[in-house]
Amino acid sequence: MGVRDGNGQSGDKPGPPSPLLTRRTMLRRGLAGLLAVSCAGWAGRKDADAVLGGLNMVSAQETGSGTGFEGATDDEIVLGMSAAFSGPSRGLGSELYRGAMAYFNHVNDNGGVAGRKISLKLYDDGYQPDPCVRNTMKLMLEDNVFLLFGYVGTPTVTRVLPLLKKFQDEQVYLFFPFTGAQPQREPPYGDFAFNLRASYRQETAGLVTNFLAAGKKRIAVFYQADAYGRSGWAGVRAALDGHGERLAGEATYRRGQRFTGSMREQVEILKANAPDAVICIGSYAACAAFARDAIDRDLRVPIANLSFVGSENMLQLLSDLGEDVETYSRYLVNSQVVPSYEDTSIPAVREYRELMERYDPAVPDELVQESYSPFPQSFVSLEGFLDAKLMTEILRRLGGTPDRDGLEEAVFSVQDFDLGIGERVSFGPDRRQGLQTVYYTVVQEGRFVTLDDWQGWLS
Amino acid sequence: MKIQKLFQRTRFGIFLLFGVIVLSTSALCIYTVDTQLTSEYETNSQNIAKSVADASVDILLNRNLATLQSMIDQFVEIQGIRYIYITSENGEYLAHTFVPGIPEQILASDHSNIEPVERSIPGLGDFLEVGSPILAGVAGTVHVGMDQDEVALKIQRAIGQQVILICIFLVVGVLASIWLVNLAAKPLAELLAYAVNIAGNKEPETSADDLLGRDDEVGDLARLFRHISDQPPGSGAPGTPPENVR
Repeated sequence: MGVRDGNGQSGDKPGPPSPLLTRRTMLRRGLAGLLAVSCAGWAGRKDADAVLGGLNMVSAQETGSGTGFEGATDDEIVLGMSAAFSGPSRGLGSELYRGAMAYFNHVNDNGGVAGRKISLKLYDDGYQPDPCVRNTMKLMLEDNVFLLFGYVGTPTVTRVLPLLKKFQDEQVYLFFPFTGAQPQREPPYGDFAFNLRASYRQETAGLVTNFLAAGKKRIAVFYQADAYGRSGWAGVRAALDGHGERLAGEATYRRGQRFTGSMREQVEILKANAPDAVICIGSYAACAAFARDAIDRDLRVPIANLSFVGSENMLQLLSDLGEDVETYSRYLVNSQVVPSYEDTSIPAVREYRELMERYDPAVPDELVQESYSPFPQSFVSLEGFLDAKLMTEILRRLGGTPDRDGLEEAVFSVQDFDLGIGERVSFGPDRRQGLQTVYYTVVQEGRFVTLDDWQGWLS
Repeated sequence: MKIQKLFQRTRFGIFLLFGVIVLSTSALCIYTVDTQLTSEYETNSQNIAKSVADASVDILLNRNLATLQSMIDQFVEIQGIRYIYITSENGEYLAHTFVPGIPEQILASDHSNIEPVERSIPGLGDFLEVGSPILAGVAGTVHVGMDQDEVALKIQRAIGQQVILICIFLVVGVLASIWLVNLAAKPLAELLAYAVNIAGNKEPETSADDLLGRDDEVGDLARLFRHISDQPPGSGAPGTPPENVR
């Protein structure tokens, strides 16, 4: 299901009539055909079906049922977003979207970018790779969005990157995905994405360094059995290698795990290795379940989580246990890639809080399959807000005639840009990640606060 | 009727013949399907292991383990493939698909072995594991585990379908043979009744016209019986067969 949302409005809007079979559509059909053949051979029937779905979209466009414009008209710039709005990770897509829309709504209410409103074409992928690939094909070939924005997750983004390379002549870039994995930061796909947040490698390196400095040498990893988990696992392993240490143990879980599921097996596997600390690379439902079962089975060691976990969602699940939340949350330390939204001394945080309160964006009803209660503020929505703020700045730098050809140049023109969080943002051909800082937070009085004194907290 | 007893041997012979055909065909079919499918699954696993190994070289050299994991996750979606793991040249597990952890049997195995190995992992099942070296083994090894239970089930299904088809042929063949035998037995029974009636100088219970009008051996016999019965009693001389008896 696709939903266009700009200025809080939802619903599809018809574009100008589709052109007849042009050279561009012929090129797309040829590329899609090649992709179908190559993907069918590579990944079996499942992906072939997804790709064939893409072919059907091309056909639909040729017959006039597509929107048929290039994502930027005189009135509007359409960005495409595929994220988790359903399933156990729906909080991540919802919060990221809410934060981004708070800023885009503000921009649109103030005349947009060079008179054009910014709208998001949304699809739900449930944090699953195959739907994400289908959504991306749709966004690129049928919806003709100007660029891709705010994708959620490593397993999803990792599978989309080859598509961007395949269609590199179309110059559809992926902006600010909600993942710190390496594939979109390195060859061969690094040229097709721009990142704002720090990487998982930086987050895990920071966690490992701080744990080791505090004498916690036996570090184990609990991770999601997919590209995201492997990315974090590799980060921890590399960081430990750098200090001459090795992983104390590892346990995995399957993507899509819900909070109600048991993590006792994983806890027992790690407990057998007597770790001093556990670094979790997972989603909030699974990591909350692990933290719960770890405490219940007496594995009382610091449990670290990466920024992707969605700290507020995780804490909410632990609070919903109806028992003393302090018991389950006292060992948690979460790394973040944005500063605390509680710190109102930061200009961007003040702006964020004000706009979130003013607009309080909601996920379009068409995408809501399961109930979700959004947070007034969260680390994820703050990241979405900052993503949107930088995105708007880049679109402004494109000038009055937005063209994909000029996108890369516009991004590279961002030098020492002040997002309002203290750290300045720069991009360049060899610098495709805007922010480098990692923040650490622990739970105090039922909320995440910045951790400055590791030794004190661990003692 | 007694005349039908003559065909019991024929029926028995037909059953026996069909039974032998069905059993021998089924046995050959089971052997062929089992051998070929097992071989095909094993070959597929080896091909997959080789594909992963070939595709892993650049990824491993770039230390891009997330992409490597993403790749093997896609291969595990293929039916019959239950697990894949990749070890480095030093035996370190670089990527795998095990949940909640790498089984002890795997951890204890020779990481560089590429020969097919049968494994029984408690809680997971029975597997045939094949391996393929990455960059001639200097960059590591890919191991692919094929679920033998699932493969056995597929083979059983394939064999079952073939045996069902053969059994259908058997039943149809037997029913057809019974029908054909009965087709031959019915006029013989009528002929017998006709002959008994003639011998007892009784009027035939059924019309003899149908029997006498037949142009086959039964008709010939009926006409011959009629001819013999029409000879004057005590004539002694052998009669000449009627013209309409071949």
